Amino acid sequence: MTQNLYHNKTAQWMVYAVFFMCLFAVPTIVSDGFLLNQFATYGVYAMLALSISLCWGFGGILNLGQGIAFGLAAYGMAMTMQMQSQDASNPLPPFMANNSLDHLPFFWEPFWSTGFGIVLALLVPTLFYVIFGSLMFRARVSGPFIAIMTLAMLSALYTLILDMQPYTNGVNGISPPAALQIFGTEIDPYSTKAYWTVVALLLLTTVASKLLTQSKFGLIVQSLRGDPERVRFLGYDVAFYETVIYTVSGLIAAIAGCLWVMLVQYVSPAQLDVNFSITMVIWAGIGGRLSLLGAILGALMIQGGQSYLGDQFLNTWLLLLGGFFILVVRFLPRGLAGLLEKVLGMMAGRQRRGPDPIAPPRIVGAPAK
Amino acid sequence: MPHIEFASVVNALILGLSIASIWLIAAIGLTIIYGTVGVINMAHGEFIMLGAYTSYMLQSVFGLPFLLCIPASFIVVAAIGVVIERGLIRYLYNRPLDTLLATWGVSLVLMQGVRILFGSDPKYVAVPEIFQSNVEFGFVNLSVLRIFIFGVTATVVAGTVYLFYRTRFGMQVRAVMQNKEMAASFGIDADRVYMTTFAIGAGLAGMAGCLFGVLAIVLPTMGTSYVVQAFLVVVVGGGTLVGSVAASGLTGELQSIFAMVSNDTFARFLLYVLIVVFLRFRPRGLFAVAKARR
Amino acid sequence: MGVLEIHNLHKSFGGTHVINDFSLDVTELTLCCLVGPNGAGKTTTMDLITGRQKPSSGKIVLRNDDITGLGEHEIAQRGIGRKFQVPAVFRELSVRQNFEVSYSREVNPFRNMFRRQPAGFKAQLDEVATLTGLKDRLDVEAGVLSHGETQWLEIGMVVMQNPAILLLDEPVAGMTESEIEKTIVFLNQLKKNHTLIVVEHDMSFVREIADVVTVMHMGSFLAQGKLSEIESNPKVREVYLGEPEI
Repeated sequence: MTQNLYHNKTAQWMVYAVFFMCLFAVPTIVSDGFLLNQFATYGVYAMLALSISLCWGFGGILNLGQGIAFGLAAYGMAMTMQMQSQDASNPLPPFMANNSLDHLPFFWEPFWSTGFGIVLALLVPTLFYVIFGSLMFRARVSGPFIAIMTLAMLSALYTLILDMQPYTNGVNGISPPAALQIFGTEIDPYSTKAYWTVVALLLLTTVASKLLTQSKFGLIVQSLRGDPERVRFLGYDVAFYETVIYTVSGLIAAIAGCLWVMLVQYVSPAQLDVNFSITMVIWAGIGGRLSLLGAILGALMIQGGQSYLGDQFLNTWLLLLGGFFILVVRFLPRGLAGLLEKVLGMMAGRQRRGPDPIAPPRIVGAPAK
Repeated sequence: MPHIEFASVVNALILGLSIASIWLIAAIGLTIIYGTVGVINMAHGEFIMLGAYTSYMLQSVFGLPFLLCIPASFIVVAAIGVVIERGLIRYLYNRPLDTLLATWGVSLVLMQGVRILFGSDPKYVAVPEIFQSNVEFGFVNLSVLRIFIFGVTATVVAGTVYLFYRTRFGMQVRAVMQNKEMAASFGIDADRVYMTTFAIGAGLAGMAGCLFGVLAIVLPTMGTSYVVQAFLVVVVGGGTLVGSVAASGLTGELQSIFAMVSNDTFARFLLYVLIVVFLRFRPRGLFAVAKARR
Repeated sequence: MGVLEIHNLHKSFGGTHVINDFSLDVTELTLCCLVGPNGAGKTTTMDLITGRQKPSSGKIVLRNDDITGLGEHEIAQRGIGRKFQVPAVFRELSVRQNFEVSYSREVNPFRNMFRRQPAGFKAQLDEVATLTGLKDRLDVEAGVLSHGETQWLEIGMVVMQNPAILLLDEPVAGMTESEIEKTIVFLNQLKKNHTLIVVEHDMSFVREIADVVTVMHMGSFLAQGKLSEIESNPKVREVYLGEPEI
């Protein structure tokens, strides 16, 4: 059986290995803390793109509301870090006092404990995804309607958080004054420790996602992207599968949300802005939604490009990005990774063309890179 | 004091009607495009924004009176719609998720294009004096502008219903919706029907933009604030005209009543949650047809 | 006693009776052909059996297990496999992956995360691939298969499910003569150890495969028996040929 290099699992894992070795090696070249911090935030974006690729690329669930998990987790983390700076004598974060609250709201209480706070930061969005997901998928809401419902939910949460000024500090958001203290040490956002934490978690989530897509579960999820009803008639509970993949993707986004606050010590409703969530889809779309690594690279390229062009070109950059995205959707639905797949396929085809006058049928293996 | 309670409820109901008419006029173009062509047009909000900028330009540069700006923005945005449909959308008709994404790309391009051309500072569309006054009906106080918008919405709905159910074009549209191949064999040019429908949908968004330009300030980002509501109206209504009218009425009233007991933003949150629960039981909206599979 | 028993099935849409008091009893290891003119309610009956639509009244029993009103996936798990009229395979996946998905012994998503190649899959894959003649096509993307091959793939997928009974909706629709002949051989082999219901109106095809023929008309049971009996049945002739026997 001859296989196109793109679909060769060993080759895929080798590319992953090389990619992550490069990421881990960055601090040996870059020593500037500010730059490392910036690279680490790209790692967080990469994790978001990964989560979109899992949900949209593999499951066919176009989630335009991934900011729900990201934002809720980010708020949870910010609350945890904020409470690290408070103590019994001074329990109220300053903004609450400014909003004339006289005692800590009940839902802030659990965040006194760092461990519990982080667990909550991950658990609340995950539970939200389980409930919201099973509501939608049991009702067999499908295709574009899921996109709109996730968008609407995101927008609802956005307005809610914006509105709860005394508890969330509204549009100004929460800026914990100190770096995260965990396991007895402080994680300085500008340190290599912070960078490596992000890359290690990116590695973990990527490998887990990759294994997931290669499992039987992954195969079933890919089938229901094409024809959910057919999968149902094979005996699988489609809504259950959809909820699981949607929630797994949400959990990854939630991890990203926690890391993001660890890096920037800030959260505001902007993290739940509709445009940010759609940007995540653009990263995955341009990089290649059917390829986990493609989506990751998409996020790195686009966010990297955006910050290096500088603010004065931002408007032009966004204009070009929109235009480029249109072209990708129109001509390259599988993104840049799909282009690579095609090129490698053509190369493999040319080598074999000699004795075989008819082009061999396309061979598929694992669809991810 | 039961009398005051009653008055505030009536006030909320009338305000609800006004909200409904605003959501409906924002959603009607979207409904037509989704219902006929099956395209979820994410650039709809930007079509609204373009309509507002068109009115602003026509008014401040050419001195066109406000009432003429309304049809003018219809025409201008409809023309832009044709260009987008011919240049992009028609290649994506069989890929609903991709049209959604491509139109989002369009929305980004339009928003940034306008921002580069006009800057990010707000623009204003001026209205005749009379629109700035208020009228009182007993204990209800309403601005003339809102009444005017209500009137325009009612006219537009009536016109659209007439167009789609009483004319030859409407018959062609419905034939294409039911079975494209069959319609084609009767000599109906589906491509043309799609293009025209898309243009009308875009034009109606432009017209809504002209009205919203008066209701609020004109900004490159203004479309985003209308588009989510417009989508929800379409989703709840199930993509039909009747559905959208009913859905906007229902959601507008609910928003107004919730806002009476809490505040605007919380009301919106509550409404969105209710819509999600509603869709759990009617995933295809209020008025929808189940699809057959052989 | 039958594998599948349908008792007094009714289905109506807002006053219109699509299925009217339909009963059927399918015996183990037989191939039952469900025939009838267009609009007789054959596909609706399939929908009702597989849970795609819920019956207005009546009872469907699979091996003493009442499956009336259950969800599609629950019915499929209990042992009813269905091939659709318009072939439905996963076009983006390879033929092998199509078979792998259909091998649905384990349906729990969490257990499926940690399981790659289920035990017993290999043997069954070999068997079904040979049966359907797709052994050399296993690594091909299903979307590039010919129409006939797609039909065979879908039948093979249903066999992979290892159901108690297979429902095939027009398995030879759109096939060439030689493909139909191949399908006849294939189905005759299949019925040696499977129970099948086949919806079909190509009578020459029915003649080649059917053990029992059931005729439906206007949503009701009209006649049942061997093909020769059916062909001489006056009621059936009336329905099909429109000439009342005097």
